[in-house]
Amino acid sequence: MSERKVVDARDSFCPGPLMELIANIRLIEVGSELELLSKDKGSAEEVPAWLTKVGHQHISTEKRGDHWSIVVKRVK
Amino acid sequence: MSSVPLFILLCSGEHEKIQMAAMMASVGAVSDRKVYVLVSMGAILAFAKDCPAETRYQGGATSALMQQKKVPDAIQLFRQGKELGDLTMKVCPMVMDIHGWELDHLVDDLFDGFTGLTSFLGAAEAGQLVTL
Repeated sequence: MSERKVVDARDSFCPGPLMELIANIRLIEVGSELELLSKDKGSAEEVPAWLTKVGHQHISTEKRGDHWSIVVKRVK
Repeated sequence: MSSVPLFILLCSGEHEKIQMAAMMASVGAVSDRKVYVLVSMGAILAFAKDCPAETRYQGGATSALMQQKKVPDAIQLFRQGKELGDLTMKVCPMVMDIHGWELDHLVDDLFDGFTGLTSFLGAAEAGQLVTL
């Protein structure tokens, strides 16, 4: 499996982290995972909602101090 | 792409409303939804190509904070919606006429041409219309 890409969007406000995720998920291979780092309070809820809407997979959401780590998998 | 299209009629020049329109348009467009935006009335002033950055966005209780905290720029959000999703941006010919402007007076790489209100409302009958 290829190395997991990390997208650090901790300096961005809503909807910046989601838009950075969307721009970057297109750049990884189908089946690969991406980790989004975000301080935006909405990301923990918004990102899984977007993944469900468009058909990618939510792997995990973890609070790490002042930010969230959200791992997603490109499905299609 | 099964969702009904989203139609956003953006009339206000208030920063908060332009920001919300940009957020709705970009997030909607990247969520497998067709989004159509018609910019008219005072909102058009925020899209003037030569508008200084410090005066482009004005008004609303959180405008100064949004600029201070550097929230994503509304025009950049609209551009991202076009790049990453299915977003069409049109401008109202009436408001352009009263300013004496053509499309080249507006920011680059954003607008797809003119659409009048009658056409926009007609198309919006098949979708969800939000006015800001």
